[in-house]
Amino acid sequence: MVSDRSARLDLVFHALAHPARRAIIRQLSGGERNLSELASPLKMTFPAATKHVRVLERASLVRRRVDGRQHLCRLRAAPLEEATLWTEQFRRNWEARFEALDSVLDEMKSEDKSRARRR
Amino acid sequence: MKPDRLQISTPTDTTIVLTRTFDAPRRLVWEAMFTPDKMRRWMLPPPGWTMTVCECEARVGGTLRLAWKDDDADPVMTLQGVFTEVVLHERIVHTETMALGSGQTIGSLVEMHEFSEEGGVTTMRITQTYDSKEARDGAIASGMDQGMEAGYQQLDAVLTQPA
Repeated sequence: MVSDRSARLDLVFHALAHPARRAIIRQLSGGERNLSELASPLKMTFPAATKHVRVLERASLVRRRVDGRQHLCRLRAAPLEEATLWTEQFRRNWEARFEALDSVLDEMKSEDKSRARRR
Repeated sequence: MKPDRLQISTPTDTTIVLTRTFDAPRRLVWEAMFTPDKMRRWMLPPPGWTMTVCECEARVGGTLRLAWKDDDADPVMTLQGVFTEVVLHERIVHTETMALGSGQTIGSLVEMHEFSEEGGVTTMRITQTYDSKEARDGAIASGMDQGMEAGYQQLDAVLTQPA
């Protein structure tokens, strides 16, 4: 299991990993757009655009509201700021090392114990 | 599982502080941190690289020498340093210079490790001090996958554009 924060970050990373979704974010940085406005410049079908918007919604990067027959999307930049993306990968690299160090220490502790028993 | 046991902060423009707890006495954490056969097991190289040299003499004036090799190509990366302060199981300071095989230096810093122990749990605090803010920021950014990095830069540019 991972903490809430890293689970949230995984969603943000995943959402940003696709060029179409970054393009949608670029469009939304110009203001609220409906789904067909998002789909057409990307030469994307309506269902494909909907699918990408859902991924962005799950990462809380986009908020969608329904107005009559229109689905209007708006950008929420907060998760990007909160994510402090620039330190995240650095943190993960070190955490991977420290988890390996945890296992080395576990072994050293049991060696210590068996040495103590032999005495 | 313990959430985010590793804390990272940037208290000044040129420093990075990493704090992590370990479920072991500090004598063992120290040994695992500065004994080559233990270091080889946790100092994981980037994917596709292998550690080829690992030497560490944790005494004042002692040297630290590490090297990695790319599995598919020629590049070699080295890290060399000297220990400048050693208080056994408590505090240790060393310099560190990273270089490419060609000799080109890609960054240097001073790294201080501080250990404290309570109830068999050790808190290790690493303070890295870089030559400049650019060097510090570069060290953080180099951890990022290049594709992602490019994506974020693009995104940053977009998000700072006036609507």
